[in-house]
Amino acid sequence: MTTLLILLSTPLLAALLSVIARKSLVLDIVAILTTGLELGAALVLAQRASIATQTYNGAFSIDAFGAIVICTVAIIGFFTALYSVGYLREEVSKGIIGFRRVREYFVLVHLFLFAMFFAVVTTAPILLWIAVEATTLATAFLVSFYNKRSAMEAAWKYLIINSVGLLLGFLGTLLYFTAFRDAGGAEFVTWDMLRASAGAIDPLVAKIGFVMVLIGYGTKIGLAPMHTWKPDAYSKAPTPVVALFSGALLNVALLALLRFKGVTDLALHSNFTQYLLIGFGLFTILVAGLIIFTQWNYKRLLAYSSIEHAGIMVLGFGFGGVGTFAALLHMIYHSLAKSSLFFCAGNIFLKYSSTKIENVRGLLTTLPTTTILFFTAFLAVVGLPPFGIFMTELYIIIAGFALHPYVAAAAVFGLALVFVGFLRHVTGLAYGDAPSEVAPGESNYLTVVPSLTLLIILILLGLYVPEEIRTLLHAAASSI
Amino acid sequence: MSLIAPQLILILGVIVFMSSVLQHLVKKNRTAISLYALQSGAIAILLTGAGDFSTIAIIAIVVTAAVKVILAPYFLARLVRRNQLRFSSTTYLSSPETLLVLALIVALSFSHYFAPLANLSPESPTLVLLSLASFFISLFLLVNKKGALSQMLGILSVENSIVAFALFTGLEQSPALELGITFDILVWVAIATVFISMLYRQFGSLDVTLMKNLSDTTL
Repeated sequence: MTTLLILLSTPLLAALLSVIARKSLVLDIVAILTTGLELGAALVLAQRASIATQTYNGAFSIDAFGAIVICTVAIIGFFTALYSVGYLREEVSKGIIGFRRVREYFVLVHLFLFAMFFAVVTTAPILLWIAVEATTLATAFLVSFYNKRSAMEAAWKYLIINSVGLLLGFLGTLLYFTAFRDAGGAEFVTWDMLRASAGAIDPLVAKIGFVMVLIGYGTKIGLAPMHTWKPDAYSKAPTPVVALFSGALLNVALLALLRFKGVTDLALHSNFTQYLLIGFGLFTILVAGLIIFTQWNYKRLLAYSSIEHAGIMVLGFGFGGVGTFAALLHMIYHSLAKSSLFFCAGNIFLKYSSTKIENVRGLLTTLPTTTILFFTAFLAVVGLPPFGIFMTELYIIIAGFALHPYVAAAAVFGLALVFVGFLRHVTGLAYGDAPSEVAPGESNYLTVVPSLTLLIILILLGLYVPEEIRTLLHAAASSI
Repeated sequence: MSLIAPQLILILGVIVFMSSVLQHLVKKNRTAISLYALQSGAIAILLTGAGDFSTIAIIAIVVTAAVKVILAPYFLARLVRRNQLRFSSTTYLSSPETLLVLALIVALSFSHYFAPLANLSPESPTLVLLSLASFFISLFLLVNKKGALSQMLGILSVENSIVAFALFTGLEQSPALELGITFDILVWVAIATVFISMLYRQFGSLDVTLMKNLSDTTL
């Protein structure tokens, strides 16, 4: 219980300390130390969950799937904090933002982390919903952080689209509670209670409920056609926050959706959820593959890559079996690779002060280290061997060919589209002559170390998955 | 619901539904805000009908009423007054077209597709479907109106419709959870109100069709 308390109370304490901080250095130290502590707590909890599901007073629980998500949130949270220190220092030195904005940034990031941790560990579906809604509220001002017209527009779209989606998810959640209505109701409905009473849910009500939950949490995941907020928010929010969106929040929303999938499968004993996940997953991959060609902004490009990967994971969960295992592993790899990629994108933005692809030329001469990291992360994200994503995508496709060969073939086509579209834009960045006003050299070591470390972890995990993680993955796959 | 006379429950259900419908037709922002306050008032009265008069339940009802009937409309009215946003935004569809769509939404809500949901409350299936229609009509408000304020009212109205649905089907949450949800809404209203002010400062209007800075193909 103590470790869980540390995990939940640390981000709140960090937010409080950030509110009262009067110096940037204090904000930086608080951010790095507290997220480091959260990471330590998350790893301890995950180690325990690899042995058995940990339950605390009936209100909190960490199973294998929860442990995986908590670890990805904590890892990305820690490296985001580290990167944010270097990134925001550069923005302050350029006069883009002042101390108050930096303080606001860290307060909101800590609250965002708290909401994500809480969403994963709570045993109540309604509290999970409140926590996921809280992630929207905590980050709305981060999307509009730079107070520009376009940032306002992105933030408003983000707030409205996610709120509507989550309200649908709320209605869907309530429909699952019909299982307890006839038994006189229940004060505090938990996931275990829902699973145990799944048979009492009217199958048609369960179907309507799952569709609403899928639209609701699917909006947060970024499944097409509910993905429209993502490119806008990703392109306007500070880059470290986007790394958290892509590497952490996506996993939390997926966890929420898959918890409901488990209950619905128990209620229906059919392939209903499977077909829906496969349909949305494939559609998402194809939409991302087609739109990626028209991109003019490298942060939007990465946003569509995140959308594509959300589609791949949902497709894997839809296929089930080995596909589920691969999708879970894909979730870990994607978090590491995409966050690293976004950190590199942040370095490019710091150097070129533009997110337009046409304005970025000669990266190899201006940011050689970042360029190497960027291209390494790019190769990992598009799923080239020897990176782990290659294997997970391969397993998902193999699972697909065994069940639905045409769907798997269409998914391969979509992946190829994304690869070609991505490659077409990215190669242009490295070469050519850099603008004369752009001085060569990395901004500071804190903007390079997080990306490098995440890539090292990604490569190592691609070569060898430790026994504890494999145990967690197997346990999580069997629970979905 | 047992503590409130069935006739009154029906009237309150109709108020929730009609408020959503009228949101589409009113021309002034103040009227739209008043309609939301009226709808929220109906929800607050319905909440008392659950018959739970424990301290936490009373607090939950009072807080919900305070947030939805007083605070949220106050924030919105102040926003309208400060920025002189007298008239409500225009719609994508004309009034007759809007009414036609509303009729179709009601027909869809009462169709066999949602019959399983009506069965959740054998004693008042009409009210369940009415709240469902209100839910869809409020969602339609979000896409039909061009104003950011109308979008905000649409979301709040969607939430009210869900609460009405939960009350009519006996799916209301425990008072402690209700408080959590209400707190969430309060924060949402505060944030959305700040955003609307900022949008007005940036764009000089709350017309969302003016928001064209972000696109997949614009250079």
